[in-house]
Amino acid sequence: MSQNDNFYSNPKAESTRKFTSSVFAMACLIVSSLAVVILVTLLATIVISGKSVFVVKKDQDGNVVSRFDADEATEGTDESGEIRSGVNWNFLSGDHVDNKPEQSGIGQAVLGSALICLICAAVAIPIGIGTAIFLEEFQPRNKILRWIHGLVQLNISNLAGVPSIVYGILGLTTFVYLFNVLPSIKTDPTPIPWEVGATHWYQTRTLGKNIVRFKAGDRTETPIELTQNEICVDGEGNEFELIIVDKRSDAPADAELRKGYALRGRKASMVKDTWPWFFRLPFGKCLLSAALTLALVILPIVIISSQEAIRAVPRSIREAAFGMGATQWQVVRKTVLPAATPGIMTGAILSMSRAIGEAAPVLAVMGGVLGTTRGIESLMSQTPVLPVTIYGWAGDHNAGFENASSAAIIVLLVVLLVMNSIAILIRNRYEKKLS
Amino acid sequence: MVSLLVGCALVTLLTTFGIIYMLIKESIGFFSSDGINVWDFLTGTKWSVGRTQGDDFDYGIWPLLSGTLRITVIAMMLALPLGLVTAIYLSEYAPKGVRAILKPTLEILAGIPTVVLGFFAVKFITPNILAHLGDFKTFNAAAAGIAVGILCIPLVASLAEDALRAVPRSLREGAYGLGSTKLETTLKVIVPAALSGIISAFLLAVARAIGETMVVALAAGSSPTFTADPRVPSQTMTGFIVHTFKSENVVPGTTGYYSIYAVAAMLFLITFVITLIGQIVRLRYREEYN
Repeated sequence: MSQNDNFYSNPKAESTRKFTSSVFAMACLIVSSLAVVILVTLLATIVISGKSVFVVKKDQDGNVVSRFDADEATEGTDESGEIRSGVNWNFLSGDHVDNKPEQSGIGQAVLGSALICLICAAVAIPIGIGTAIFLEEFQPRNKILRWIHGLVQLNISNLAGVPSIVYGILGLTTFVYLFNVLPSIKTDPTPIPWEVGATHWYQTRTLGKNIVRFKAGDRTETPIELTQNEICVDGEGNEFELIIVDKRSDAPADAELRKGYALRGRKASMVKDTWPWFFRLPFGKCLLSAALTLALVILPIVIISSQEAIRAVPRSIREAAFGMGATQWQVVRKTVLPAATPGIMTGAILSMSRAIGEAAPVLAVMGGVLGTTRGIESLMSQTPVLPVTIYGWAGDHNAGFENASSAAIIVLLVVLLVMNSIAILIRNRYEKKLS
Repeated sequence: MVSLLVGCALVTLLTTFGIIYMLIKESIGFFSSDGINVWDFLTGTKWSVGRTQGDDFDYGIWPLLSGTLRITVIAMMLALPLGLVTAIYLSEYAPKGVRAILKPTLEILAGIPTVVLGFFAVKFITPNILAHLGDFKTFNAAAAGIAVGILCIPLVASLAEDALRAVPRSLREGAYGLGSTKLETTLKVIVPAALSGIISAFLLAVARAIGETMVVALAAGSSPTFTADPRVPSQTMTGFIVHTFKSENVVPGTTGYYSIYAVAAMLFLITFVITLIGQIVRLRYREEYN
């Protein structure tokens, strides 16, 4: 054994050794190219599944009636069938419809993702750059500040290793429930958050089968029993007094008059109208909570990439500025930041693309919402986002959603590709050689 | 102005303290509920939170922990060798042309959202690969493990490559000068010299695999099983948390709801310790060359 192991003193084995070496080189190449194979397989799977051809049937008004996989519907498709691929305008602009993959789209999800990403960027990028400047440019003399300096630096690499779902739970606890300070986690469904920009109503159905509502005032419980002579508003905006009767036959027979009557014991439940500036504390399950949570997820990435960009600015530039009599802050603002901007931007865009693809924290904060009937009305609205939609559809029992899911993946990947290309473009174009 | 910057820096500290405070506070809340004790949580082999009515559930962490372990082991069996070999190839062998293909490929692979890889695991890996190899269920640990492994390859490759590249040229030249072949130089000189960096890359990949959520939520199924069989569905710690939030079958405020925090605390503790060991290995056992 020792004879063979000692390769320096065994000239006979030299050709074997060289042979082994070149075999290893080949093996390395083959193993490494597996990454390429995996990527190609992955993209091919998704494109084939997502671009699968549908036969779309429409009725006279142009509404989509049904959509089949072309393979399953080779026979029996009539002339009105229109053939189209998975990603089309209907898909891009439509909303999720339960059990109807052929009518479902990602309109709300794209809007939700874009809004959340914007808010997330607006929060994470300034804080990230600020932290990076603090860590790189300021050598604190104050003892407490120096302690913070070291701790923050140590902390960032640890934060980058925290699983994103843990951030999701943090977001749920802090933003959605505000550590339950205003007790909003409770088993009875009447949360009383502090809020502005909303009008509360009670809504009920009268004997005329129409929906009427009346102002909630100070009442918060829901549902409540109707009381006599409540001032109500109907769908057309007419005001009238609601009269409670004991029996159906007590109300006038005329349908127009029955609108103002309701049966005793009928319940009214609370609804609310919100304005675009609607705001509440705690935030609850809403897009603002999700955006802030994602901001925490990407903050370490923004900080690390900004730090690298700032560190890449050569020392000589700073010294020249100091030599001209600039203060510390002027040096940072007028020389270091402009020189580091392309690098910071690149890092920021890459972290944004991370935020757009994250599903777990959003799921934790907003739940698995696939669509809302009211859409995005304010920062306090729930909204679907692309990755959550992909997750929801991929796990749906209706097999048609599988294709819809891969079509959504194609859209997501294209968005990511565009963002990454922009990042690379900025890096190549504006990266001035300073050293 | 400095105070503003300090304020920015404090956000990251607040996040860490927030996470730790929240996990400790809510876990204590969970363990001090009626009929819940830490011992059952740490040793129990049955988990049924959210699968039974009311507060009558089993809460032994081992099914979830074993799910995480199964998937992490499978993922690492794939990602560590592949990532390391790719790193060795990139740092020691790759000609410019191959490098120009391989590097961007790894970067794209690293940037693919994990939910997409989960989809790939369910729709491709299980039906097209595993189904031919044995009796694999629709949702199984193996497919999830392979997908998590794919996700970890770029991480291992790029960190290990950095470590290999940091080994100074003089060591390579010394080995060649003694008559070593390229293979011998790589395996007996370069890799040992970069070992601390490689091990820390491995540990970071392990932490990443343990914390990986969307792949396992999609591909591994939602039944917590205490077994070593990779063919059956398995729920991990992360999978349990996501499934609970998605299906909303656990009412906020109930005892079962707070079990999420206990599981998350376990998850955080494990990943935190592994990340920390990785950093210590990298800094402490680094070979210094000048």
